[in-house]
Amino acid sequence: MLNLVWLLLGGYVAGIVLPFCLPGRPESRRLTSSVAAIVATSAGIVLGILGLTSSEPVTGTLASTIPLLTLSIRVDPLAAFFVFTISVVALAASVYAIGYLQHFEGYASTAKLGALFNAYLLCMTLVILADNAFFFLLAWELMSLLSYFLVVTEHEKAEVRYAGLFYLIMTHVGTAFIVMAFLIFFQTAGSFSFEAFRHPEQPLPEGMRTLVFLMILLGFGTKAGIVPLHVWLPYAHPVAPSHVSAVMSGVMIKTAIYGLIRVYFDFFGGQFPWWWGFTVLFLGATSSLLGVMYALMEHDLKRLLAFHSVENIGIILLGIGAGMIFQSYGLKELAALGLLAALYHTINHALFKALLFLGAGSLLYATQTRNLEEYGGLLRRMPWTGSFFLIGAVSISALPPTNGFVSEWLLFQSLFLSFQIPTVFLKLMLPIAAAILALTSVLALACFAKAFGIAFLARPRSMHARRAEEVPAPMRIGMGILATLCVALGIVPMVVVPLLDRVVAPLAEISITSKVMAIDGWALAPVNVEFSSLSTPALALSLVALAMLGLGLAVALGGRLTTRHSKTWGCGINLTAHMQYTATGFVQPIKRVFSTIYQPTVKLETEFLHESRYFAKRRHFEFHIEPIFEKYLYDPLLAFFATLADRLKIIQAGSLHLYLTYMFVALIVLLLLAV
Amino acid sequence: MQGLSSLGSQLVDLCSALLLLTCFAIVAQRRLSACVDLFALQSAFLVVTAALVAYLTGNHHIYLAAGLTGVIKVIIIPRVLKKVIDRLNVKRELVMHVNVPTGLLICGGLVMLAFFIAQPIIPLGSLLTRDSLAIALAIVLIGLFTMIARHQAVSQLVGFLVLENGLFLGATAATYGMPLVVELGVFFDVLIATLIAGIYTNRLQDAFDSVDTDRLTVLKE
Repeated sequence: MLNLVWLLLGGYVAGIVLPFCLPGRPESRRLTSSVAAIVATSAGIVLGILGLTSSEPVTGTLASTIPLLTLSIRVDPLAAFFVFTISVVALAASVYAIGYLQHFEGYASTAKLGALFNAYLLCMTLVILADNAFFFLLAWELMSLLSYFLVVTEHEKAEVRYAGLFYLIMTHVGTAFIVMAFLIFFQTAGSFSFEAFRHPEQPLPEGMRTLVFLMILLGFGTKAGIVPLHVWLPYAHPVAPSHVSAVMSGVMIKTAIYGLIRVYFDFFGGQFPWWWGFTVLFLGATSSLLGVMYALMEHDLKRLLAFHSVENIGIILLGIGAGMIFQSYGLKELAALGLLAALYHTINHALFKALLFLGAGSLLYATQTRNLEEYGGLLRRMPWTGSFFLIGAVSISALPPTNGFVSEWLLFQSLFLSFQIPTVFLKLMLPIAAAILALTSVLALACFAKAFGIAFLARPRSMHARRAEEVPAPMRIGMGILATLCVALGIVPMVVVPLLDRVVAPLAEISITSKVMAIDGWALAPVNVEFSSLSTPALALSLVALAMLGLGLAVALGGRLTTRHSKTWGCGINLTAHMQYTATGFVQPIKRVFSTIYQPTVKLETEFLHESRYFAKRRHFEFHIEPIFEKYLYDPLLAFFATLADRLKIIQAGSLHLYLTYMFVALIVLLLLAV
Repeated sequence: MQGLSSLGSQLVDLCSALLLLTCFAIVAQRRLSACVDLFALQSAFLVVTAALVAYLTGNHHIYLAAGLTGVIKVIIIPRVLKKVIDRLNVKRELVMHVNVPTGLLICGGLVMLAFFIAQPIIPLGSLLTRDSLAIALAIVLIGLFTMIARHQAVSQLVGFLVLENGLFLGATAATYGMPLVVELGVFFDVLIATLIAGIYTNRLQDAFDSVDTDRLTVLKE
C-alpha cells in the first residue's frame, strides 16, 4: 500500500515538474500535466479502496530536518474514504482539463496552470494522509495558498483580484483558529503526532476542551463555508477556472469535514456534552436553509452553485450534528447512522457538485458567459452537456434514482429516530431540523428547475447561446465519469453502506451494516423494516416502468405521435426570446414569500416618449437582495479594524531612527526583565 | 593545560576588549571613511579572536569561519563601502541625533548594562571564552545605538555590521561557534545585506541628493 502512496506522490510531482521541462507545443504540455494527474488519482482511488477494506491502518514515516516535523502518514478507513473521494473528483477534473484549458490558451500559461493544479491536488491529498499536526498544517496552508493562486488565474480582472484577496484573508483567519486548537492539544500531548493527540498523557481540562471545540468549528467552518463564515465561497468559486472550481467546491471544502470528524470523533473519542452536537446541528440547519435561499436568487450559474455548496455542507453538518448528539447520549447505533448519512452525502455532494461545476464550465466554454439570462435553448445545441447537467441537477435535488436521494433519505431516518433521546428539548429540535432539511430540498429542486429550465430549454436568449456548440470529447468524458457515478451510487447503496460502515465503525465503536441492510441485502432498512425501508434498485426499476407505462399509455390513448411544426400563438405579435420566462421571473414568488430574509430592493425606471406618456421608450429594472452577513457582520468588523489601524498609525512615524529606537528599547527592556 | 587554558582565556579577553575599544572609536568618529576603516580593524580583531578560540579548543571549523570573516569583513565589505562613499557629496556626519560626548557616555552605560545582564550567566559557563559574552552583548547594543544615533546611511550600515560582529563574537564565545552551515548562511546574509544597502544608499543619493535617512519620512502619506 505504501507503494501506492509513492506512486500517487510521484504522479503529482511529475505533473508539477514535467510541464515545464518538456519542450513542445501547448497541447502536449496540457496533456502531460493531465496524464500525470490521472496516474496519481488512479493510484489514489486504488489506495482508497484498499484502505477501506484493509483491517489495519497503514502508516509510514519519513524523518525531516525541521524540528517537530515528521512526515508521517496514516491510511485508516476515514482517511481512505476521503482520499478516494478526492481522487475520483480530481480524476474527472483532470480529464476535463485536457479540453477545458484550450479556453485559456493565449492569456494564461497552461503549463503553469497544470503544474499548480497538480500541486494543489497533492497538498489536498497530504492533508488527509497526514498523521502529524505540523505536517497537516503545512499541507493545509500550502493547499490554501495554491488554491488562491488558481483562483486568481484571470488576475487582470479587478473582480477576480478582490475575490482572491477575500478568500486569502478568510482562509488564513480560519487557519489561525486551527493552529491555536492544535497548540492546545500539543500542550498536553507533548508531541505533534496525531497518535499523541488521541491518547494524551493527561486529559484536557473541561474548559480547554470547549475552547478546542469552538476553535476547530470556527477554523474548519471557515473552509467548509458554514453560515456566517461562508461569504468567501460565492466570490472565490465562480472566478476560478471551472475544473478548479469543481475540485474546490466538490472536495476541498470536504477536507474541513474530514478535520471536524477527525478531531471530534477521533481525538476526543466521541466524548462530548450534548450542546456540542446541537451547535453543529443548528449551524448545519442554518447553513443549508440560507445557502439554498441565496442560491435561488443568483443568476450567475457558478455563484449559484457556490451557494449550493453552503447548503450541502449544511446538510452534511446536520448528519454530523445528529451523530454527535446521539453519541453524547450513548445511542451508538443512531450516532453511527447519522455519521454514515453525513459521509454518504459527502461523497455524493463531491460527485454531483463537481459534475455541475464542470457543466457550468462547459456552458462558459461554449457561450463565454456565466449569466443564466443569456443562455437558453442549449439542450439542442449541447445534448451531452445538457444530459449530464440534468443528472447532476436531479442528484442535487435529491430525487431518485440518484445518489443525493439515498443520502438525504438516510439523514431523514436518523433525524426521525430522535424520539429515543431522553431530553424533550432535543426531541423537539431534531424533527425541526428534519423539517428544515425538507424545506431545503424543495427549494433546491426549485432552484435547479430554474437553472436547468432557463439554461437548456426554450429558445436562445442571446447571440452567445445561439452560437454555442458541443464541447470537446475530454470535457464530455470528464462529466460522463461523474454522471455515471452519481447514478451508480444512487442504485447500489447496499455496496456503499458496508464500506462506509467500515469508516464509521471505529469512530462510533459499533458496526451497523447488519442493522441498516435488510436481510436479503437488496434494501436499506435502518432500525426495522416496519418503520421504513428503501430498495433503490426496485425504485429505479419502478420509475423506469412508470415512464414506459406513461409513454405506452400516451401512444395507446393519445394516438398521434407525429411532430407538428407551427408557430405558437402570440396575440398577434411576433414572438421573441425576450418574452420567455426569465430566471428573475421564475423566483419572484419565492422572493415575495421570504422577503424578510432577502430584504429585496427593486428599482424600476421608465423613460417615456416626449410625445406621449403612454409609450415607454426604455425601461430599466434593477433588483438586489441585501447581503445581510456582509452588511451587518463583516462591514462593521472591517470598519473596526480600519479604525484600529488608524489609531496605530501614530507610532508609525515613517522615521527609520524611530523604528530602530523601538527595537532598541524593546531589547533593553526584555534583557532587563530576563535578569 | 591549566596554564595554557588560563593564558588563552586571558588572550581571548584581550582581543574581545580590543573589539569593544574599536566600537567606541567608531562612535567617536565622524568621518565616514574612517568609520569604515575602524570597522575593518574591528573585523581583523574578530578574526584573531576566532582563530585563538579555534586553536585553543581544536574546533577546526572555526578556522574556516575566521578565514571567511577575514575575506568578507576585512576586505570585501570595506571596499564596497569605500566605493559607495566615493559617490557621496557629504563625507562626514554633520549633525547627529546624539552628539559624540553624550554618545560615548551612553555607550559606557550600555557596557555596564551588558555586564550587569551577563553577570548571572558568566559563573555558570565553563568555557574559556565566557567573559566575552558580556562584551559581545555590549558590542551588539553599541552597534544598534550607532544605527539610531547617526543620520547617514553609510554609518548606519557600519552600525549594522558592528552589531553583526557582536553576534559573531557572542556565538563563538557562548558555544564555540554555531554549526558551520549556519555560519555560512550568516556570512552570505551579511554580504548580501551590505550589497543591498550599498545599492540603496546609491539610490538615496540619486533621489534625495543626500543619504540622510531622516529624509525618508517624506515618503509617508
